[in-house]
Amino acid sequence: MKNRLKVLRAERNWSQQDLAQRLEVSRQSVNAIETGRYDPSLPLAFRIAALFDMPIEAIFAPD
Amino acid sequence: MTAHRTRHAGRSRWFWVGLMFASFGVIAALRITDAIGETTGFILMACAMLLIVPLTRAGLAHQRTTGHLSPAVARYTRRFMIASLGYMLGLGIAITLSERMELSGVGAFAIALLPVLPIFAMIWTMARYLIEEDDEFLRHRATMASLAGLGLVLAAGSFWGFLETFGVVPHVDAWWTFPVWAIGMGIAQCWMSWRDRAGTES
Repeated sequence: MKNRLKVLRAERNWSQQDLAQRLEVSRQSVNAIETGRYDPSLPLAFRIAALFDMPIEAIFAPD
Repeated sequence: MTAHRTRHAGRSRWFWVGLMFASFGVIAALRITDAIGETTGFILMACAMLLIVPLTRAGLAHQRTTGHLSPAVARYTRRFMIASLGYMLGLGIAITLSERMELSGVGAFAIALLPVLPIFAMIWTMARYLIEEDDEFLRHRATMASLAGLGLVLAAGSFWGFLETFGVVPHVDAWWTFPVWAIGMGIAQCWMSWRDRAGTES
């Protein structure tokens, strides 16, 4: 799955660690999701969407 | 500052690993050359095994700097350290007893349990980690590493078993399954860590 996490994070001037703390996950999780090596579960995807106040499909899209 | 701390934590971790294995090597060499006796060798090995305590602390510090340290990881590391110390102690006592007396029946069963109970504790520790880890990516990594270890045990065990049946290789004791599984898991963890480091960072 493709995602816009890195762009959204950069727009807010957040580091991976900042985003990880807001999502209550490890920095490695953020890194893996951003680089497309790991697709988050539906509950985590909803948390990400809620944090950026956007619908899930505005952040994640199929390859 | 963070990079400096990371490098420092990494150096500390490998320092303790090196010191522990160097100690094991020196003690084994002294034992093989009969420079020290069984009891002295066991005591020295037990002392060298205590290096796992600073190694664990350095490992936790390293995990903290790389973002891998969750409360579940910290609990897992401490539980595994205690089980490892118990294994070393149980193994030493079992070997010492088996070399000094004829073992059979219930006695042999009981002595075999000495190193095996800590191994059961290690397996329980790993199961608890998978249950307690809230971070789904870290849980996914641990699951994949466990499966890689399982794959290595099944592949190596099946291949070796047939080679043994055909008389090509010598017999290998079944207790090797756990170390081989742990080696497979460790290799998978190292590979995934390397892949993570190669990923984009900002």
